[in-house]
Order: sequence, then C-alpha cells, then structure tokens
Amino acid sequence: MRPTKFLVLALALALSGAASGQEKKITLGAAVQLTGRLANTGRYYGDGYQITVDKINQKGGVTVGGTKYQLALRIYDSQSDTNLGVRQYVQLLTQDKVNFLLGPFSSNDALDDSSVAEKYQVPMVQGGGASTQIFSRGYKYVFGTLPPADDYFSSTIKMMGKLDPKPKTVALVAADDSFDVSVANGTRKLLKEAGLELVVDKQFRENNADFSSILSLVKSKDPDVILWAGHEGEALNFIRQAKSLDVNPKLFYSFTVGVPTADFRKALGKDAEYAFGMTPWLPEKELKDDWFGDAEQFDKEYQARFKYSPDYHAASAAADVETFAKAIAAAGTLDPKKVRDEIAKVDFQSLYGHVKFQPNGQISLPQTVIQIQDAKVVPIYTEDFIGKPRYPIPPWSKR
Amino acid sequence: MQLFGQILVNGILLGGLYGLMGLGMGLVWGVLKIVNLAHGALIMLGGYALYFLYTKAGVDPFLGLPLAMLAMFVLGYLLQTLLLNLIVRSAQLNTLLLTFGLDVVFVYMAQLLFTADFRTINPPYAGKNISLFGVTVPYAQLGAFGVAVLLAALLYLVLDKTRTGRAIRATAQNLVAARLYGVNPKRIYAITFGTGAALAGAAGGLYGIVSQITPYIGVTLTAKSFVIAILGGLDKPLGVIGGGLVLGIAEAMAALYLDPTYTDIISFGLLVLVLIARPAQLLGRA
Amino acid sequence: MNRFRWLALPVAAAALAAVPWVTSDTIVQYGINALLVATLAQSWNIIGGFSGYPSFGNSVFYGLGTYGTAIAMAQLHWSFGSGLVFGAVLGVACALLFGIPILRLRGPYFAIATLGLAAVMSAIIATVEIAGKNIGLILPLFRGDTLFYELSLILLVAATATVAWIARSRFGVGLVAIREDEDAAQVMGINTTMYKVAALTVAAFFSALAGGIHAYWITFIDPASAFDPSLNVRMVIMTLFGGPGTVLGPVLGAFVLSAVSEVLASQATGVASLFYGIVIVAAVVFMPKGLLDVVQGFRESRWRYFTDNIRRYRL
Repeated sequence: MRPTKFLVLALALALSGAASGQEKKITLGAAVQLTGRLANTGRYYGDGYQITVDKINQKGGVTVGGTKYQLALRIYDSQSDTNLGVRQYVQLLTQDKVNFLLGPFSSNDALDDSSVAEKYQVPMVQGGGASTQIFSRGYKYVFGTLPPADDYFSSTIKMMGKLDPKPKTVALVAADDSFDVSVANGTRKLLKEAGLELVVDKQFRENNADFSSILSLVKSKDPDVILWAGHEGEALNFIRQAKSLDVNPKLFYSFTVGVPTADFRKALGKDAEYAFGMTPWLPEKELKDDWFGDAEQFDKEYQARFKYSPDYHAASAAADVETFAKAIAAAGTLDPKKVRDEIAKVDFQSLYGHVKFQPNGQISLPQTVIQIQDAKVVPIYTEDFIGKPRYPIPPWSKR
Repeated sequence: MQLFGQILVNGILLGGLYGLMGLGMGLVWGVLKIVNLAHGALIMLGGYALYFLYTKAGVDPFLGLPLAMLAMFVLGYLLQTLLLNLIVRSAQLNTLLLTFGLDVVFVYMAQLLFTADFRTINPPYAGKNISLFGVTVPYAQLGAFGVAVLLAALLYLVLDKTRTGRAIRATAQNLVAARLYGVNPKRIYAITFGTGAALAGAAGGLYGIVSQITPYIGVTLTAKSFVIAILGGLDKPLGVIGGGLVLGIAEAMAALYLDPTYTDIISFGLLVLVLIARPAQLLGRA
Repeated sequence: MNRFRWLALPVAAAALAAVPWVTSDTIVQYGINALLVATLAQSWNIIGGFSGYPSFGNSVFYGLGTYGTAIAMAQLHWSFGSGLVFGAVLGVACALLFGIPILRLRGPYFAIATLGLAAVMSAIIATVEIAGKNIGLILPLFRGDTLFYELSLILLVAATATVAWIARSRFGVGLVAIREDEDAAQVMGINTTMYKVAALTVAAFFSALAGGIHAYWITFIDPASAFDPSLNVRMVIMTLFGGPGTVLGPVLGAFVLSAVSEVLASQATGVASLFYGIVIVAAVVFMPKGLLDVVQGFRESRWRYFTDNIRRYRL
C-alpha cells in the first residue's frame, strides 16, 4: 500500500512540476535609471513596471490564443547613462531575448532607446518621454503614454481665461532640453491664441542651479503669471530662490514638474504651498482598471509595497505594461509585428486613464491643473473647474 | 539701473560661495600637487553632514557648520594618510585618477546610504531677505557669503602667521628642504588635505542651504572649482575668493545681458583664456 | 619565434573582423563600443602617453566629430562618408587652432585647459542653431550594425598602425624626448611646438572619426552625450591601465576595462559603479605604470612588484 501511495504522490508532484515548468512566459525588458542623476524619477518606472507585472500575473496572466502566459520583467540599471542604456536595450533584445520593450524615463533617453526598438522592429511602449521629437521621426514601433509636451500648459491657459481677476501678462521660463523646448514652443502658440502677452521669455541651460538673474528680470517686469518648464531639481532651486529674492507673480505660478511628486513637496516644506502644476493622472476611484480595480487601489498597493507615493510617472509605467497585456491578448500571438498593429489600435480604460494612441504613436490625455493646498495636491481644472483654487496666490511676505 | 544693482549683488553673493568651493581645491593642488577630482564629492558629503546635523539633531545650520567641517577634516586626514600618501610621488596624473576612483566610490556610497531624494537645509530664516537701496539681499546667500569670506581670511592668516601654516607653505615650495627644517611631511600633508576637505564640506553645507543636495551634485561643482581655483592662483586664499567673485559676477551679468544658456561658456571660456594668457605666472608653479 | 609574433596581430585583427558573423548581436554592440573607446584611448596615447601631455579634453574632438557628421547628415543631407570627413575636419581644425596656445602649458595646467576647452565647446554647440542647440539632432536610421562594427575595427587598426609607426619613427623619438625633458629636447633642435601640435592633431583626427561613427550608430545626439565628459577619464584610465607609450597597451587596457564594466553593468547591476571605482583606486596604487609593466615586473619580482610600487611612490 505505502509504496503505491508514494508512487502516486511522486507522480502527482512530477506532473505539477512539469506543468509549472511548462509555464509560458512573455518577457518585457527595459533599461531604467535606477541610479544616477535621474534616479529620483527613474525609480517610479522600475517600481511601476514591477507592481503591474506582478498584479497581472496574480490575476491569471495573459491569455494568448487559448494558452495562459505569465509576464516576466527584465530590468537593467542604465545608471542615468544614455549610451549605456542603448547598449542594454540591444542586450535585452539579442541576448536576453525579451519579447517586448518598455521604456526609460526622460525624452533624451527615449529618443535614443526607441531607435533600438525601431531598428530591431520590436514594439516599445514607453511612458517617460513626452517630447514631440520622439514621435516626429515616422517610427512605427514606438508608442508613448505621456501626453504631448507642447500641450502641457493647455489646460492651465484655458483656465486662465476663466479666472477672476483675469491674467494678462505671462513670464515663460524654460530649460533648453528637448522636452522643455517642446513645452515652450507649444506654450508660446497657445498664449498667442489666448491673447496673452509674453513679457519675459527666457531659456536656461538644463541642470542650472542659479536663477538669480532670471528671477531679478522677472521681478522687474512684474508679470501676472509665471509659467515654468524644467526638471525637478531646477524647480526646487527656482522656488527657493524666488522666495529669498522676494519674487512674486502678481497672480500665480505654474510648474511642469515637481508639484505632483511627494519628494518635491517634502523638500520644499511650506514653500511649496500655492504652487500650480499639472498631471495627467490622479489616484481617483473613477479611473477603473481591469487588474487593480481602480486608481485609488493602485495608489494604496503601491504605497504599501514601496513605501512612497506613486505619481503620474508610475501610473504611466503601469499603463505601458497593461497596454502590452491588452495588445498581446488581442493579437493572439507573440509576433512583434502583429502585436505592434494591435497596440496601434488599442483603446481601453485603465488606472492611468483612457489609453488610445494617436497615429504618430503618442497618447492624447488632458492635463489636470493642480495646486498644492495645505501640503496636499488638489485638482483644480480639467475641462472646467473641479476644485477651488487659492487665487491670487499671496506674496512671500504674506505667507 | 536698479536691475543692474540687483544682478551685481546676486553675482557677488554667489561669487562668495564659489570662492569657498575653490579654496579647498586650490590649497590641495597648490601645496600637495594633488588634483582632486573627488572635490565635488567632498562638497556633497559635507552637505549631507550638515543636513543630518540640522534635521536629526536640530542644530542650526550656521552653528553646525564647524561640526560638519570637523567631520570632513577627519575624513580628509584619513584619506591622505591611508591612501593618497601612497601615490604622492608617482606621476601627477595618478592623483587625478585615484581621486576619480574615490569620487565614484563616494557617489555610490552616498546613493546607497542617502538615496537620490532631494535634501534641502531649510532653516526658518532661509527665505527671508532685507532690502538695501532697492536691492533685495537674501539672508541665506548673505550668510553664505559672510562665511566664505571669513574662512578665506582665516586660511590666509593661518598660512601666513602660524607655524603650521608656514610649514605647509614650506612643503609646498620644497619638500626636501622643509624636511631638513624638521617638518614632518606626512603630518603636514594630512593636515593640508584635511583642511581642504573641511573647506569643501563648509561649501557643501552652505550649498544645501541655498540649493539642494543629492549624491550627484559633485561633478559640476568639481568642474566649477577648477575654474575658480585657477582664476585665483591656487593656494592664495584671497585670490581664490577674488576668482570666485569674478566668476559669480560674470555669470550673473551674462545671464541677464546675453542669455542664461551662456553661463557655461563664460565660466569655462574664462578658464581657458586665463590659462592661455598668463602661462608664465602659472608655469612657474608647474 | 619572432617571425610568428608578427603574425599574431593580423590574425587577431582578422578574428575580430569575423566576430559579427560568429557571435550574437550583443557582442557586436559591445564590440562597437569597445572598439571606439579603444580608438579614443589609442589617440590619447599619442598626446598623453608618448608626448607626456595628459589631455583631459580629448572628448572635444570626439564631440566635434559627432556633431560634424550629425550636422552633415541631418541638416545638410550629405552622405555618411562626407559626414565623417566633415567631422574629421572640425576635429583637426580645433586641434590646430587651440593646440598652439594650449600646448604651451605643462602638466595639470594643460590637463585643465583641455578640460575647459571641452566644456566650452560643448556649451557653445548647445547654443548653435544648426547643431540643434541643446535639444540635439536626429540622424537617419540605418539597420546594419555590422557595418559600424567593421568601420570601428578598421579605425582602431588604423590608429594602432599609426601609433606603431610613430613608435619607430623620428617623430616618435622626438615626442618621447619632449616627454622626458622638453627643455633639453628644444635645445637639441627639436621644434617642440610643431611636434606637439602634430601629435594633438593626429589624436584629434582619430577621435573625431570615432565620434562620427558613433553619431550614425546611435541616431540621436545632444551636447551632453556627444561631449560626454566621462569619456575623458575613461580613455586616460584605459591607457594608463594598459600601458602608456606602448603600441598595444591602450588597446589592451580598453578591452579589459570595458569588458569589466560591461559585465558588471549587466550582471551585478547594483554594485557596478562601486567595483569600477575600487578597481581604479587599486590599479593606481598597485600598478601605476600599467598592465604591460605588470607583466614584465611580475616576471622579475613576482608579488613584490606591487608592494615595491607603493614603496617607491609613497611619501
């Protein structure tokens, strides 16, 4: 009796072992800035990809033509070195033989890395590059879940038309890298269409630490609004130096980065109050998701696991993984070309919002205008007012 | 005219901090002939030291500065004694390489220990300012300027008036002769490098008050320190402060009257021009 | 035995040339990178190793080559070949123009001046319209990494052959004389200025070509990546690691160090940079004269070679 039972048990184990060994995998690969200059934001992508892959697997993986597949993730640390990132993407494709690619953070890296995807004709869905340059090359294998850079201030400018008192003069301060130049170019057009006067239009070198000259110039022109485009470290410097030089916009100021990010608000403390910004994503219950339930759930699980709050970067990363899950299932095959065609057609609701790509590969999502009130991010305006702005913002001396 | 005055003041205040950054690098290069590529990393570490003193122990940043400097002095002393003294007599290029390796290690450790989060030293008076003749003078930048000038003056006095200072200058001139006069080179070298590190640490702490600290701020600051140290003549403290002022004012003016994207062209262009134009003065120290 | 040693090099070159057909794409990628950086190291060797002028700004020639090719192809729509030529012209022009004043400086002052030059050039390019300012340029996409690999190999072979020729020529002897005692060399009648500028120009030529190949390979360039300052330290370390002033030292050093850092970056991705830093520190302390010297020194005094180095160079 005992040997037979033993044999049956062994057989059962062997079969289950064989079954799990035969578990099919789809591998997504990416080279992300986990260390180095851009690590501050890069980590949102590594963690966002990971939590989404795990979630999808937890819910049964992806079904391709009747067979269940598990998602796997292969991430390299590009150390914020663009050239290394490119080599790592090639390694992912040729040595690790990943099936599909996810993107890095930053438009500059996305510009280089997407060329690898295009060269090898393997689709890449990236959520870290918004510059129009990325999508103006006629590439077929690159998709992006960050909305176009030149539209970043669109909601803000529309909102300006509905504010009372209505702003008339604007100071535009932007960095000179690809993403911010796109933002500035688009913003100039929008300002002109809205009939607003540009009294200061200055560009600064990225990674610049000293804004005293620009701030002094802005102060002398006394604009109603300051629109600022750059990266987080620079935004931090700008705000702190604005305070110490007592530079105040008459009505309000808005930044393309930092405001939705917890780390930024923490570094500024009280000085972050009243700042306007924008985000294509907020952790709201209304954003339903096939895997996480809704954006609020995603926010909770992300915080619990990684011990810091996600922002739109992480949500964008999650959307990238979900896009692949949807497209692969729709294609019914792992063939890169067919999956690529399905990605182009994809149209679904996710925790990040409505995912659908324009013909050039970039998503089209409205930016929600937000403001920091009592250390919290408050949504103010998308198509119309959804929150009450603290406006005009008080000058530094009165805070 | 008022805008001009404001920009001038901005430049002067920034220049003071720049001068402090160059002070440590110039001292180490002029005296020890060590070109310290890890200088920016030392600035960064000093910044973290002051940050933690302020946020964890509640010590006011300007009062905590001497403590941070002491910690950095010890670090520098140890680095010289245990590592740099081993290669001091080989090709000067090797000091560049060794310090480069150290820089990589320091940045890595900082990232591991402190993460990439932005750290700001934000005492309540950091955003305040006073208005003088229509020019806004921020407290934090003014304090940084004051500390920088004070430290430069102290360094000058130490080098000029004290026995240790004279020993340092003697070893800079002629190591063999200095030995004959009873100077202990190992100790003097360690003290010098420790002092350089302490000055870098002070610059880092002040930098954290007026800007922010991450593990990666070192690279650009090392490059700037080169410019300032050379403009000032390396181990001449007052000259280096002057060099810092020149650079700070030039950058501020260029940002307003030319274009803010020209600041690097100005700083490095100045460097190259100065080097080309007065080689005689500098060649004598090669 | 000697006769066969001559064969070793062409055989090695042929083996390297065959790589794209017998190994994976990843190796080819790594190969392109290693070959280009070895060319940079070899170029540095001419001005730094042979002449004793440690340039910390050779990235300026690489960057000008990159931008020359990129502007030619992306803005002027020239062919790749013309682009490379244009890039080389820019690099050489820079060496000639700035070489004369900068080469008057010695030692670390020269090093810092070259570093400043590289920084200035990068900053200037970032304001130039036709160079795409700071947002960079996009080159046309070319699917054919094998071509880039073979081109890089040819470039490295050419650079190494040039260095081999220099090592045996009067020019090379003159450079070494400058390195050992420049004033004496001048007294002996060597036109030191001409020799130094020539050395810098040759270095600039190869560096610029390396940059040009890199530009077309990577398709998107901007000032930060084209004038990548970390390249300067890397090419110096690789040459010193392998053996400055020798013919094969830089190549050896470049291949070994890039293999190490590549393996680290992909396997031990978290600690890659830490190891790299430690390796450099250890190398400078224990083998300040390079790998080739280690080989010889080891043969003579075994492990004592390393401690002897410390004893010789410490305070």
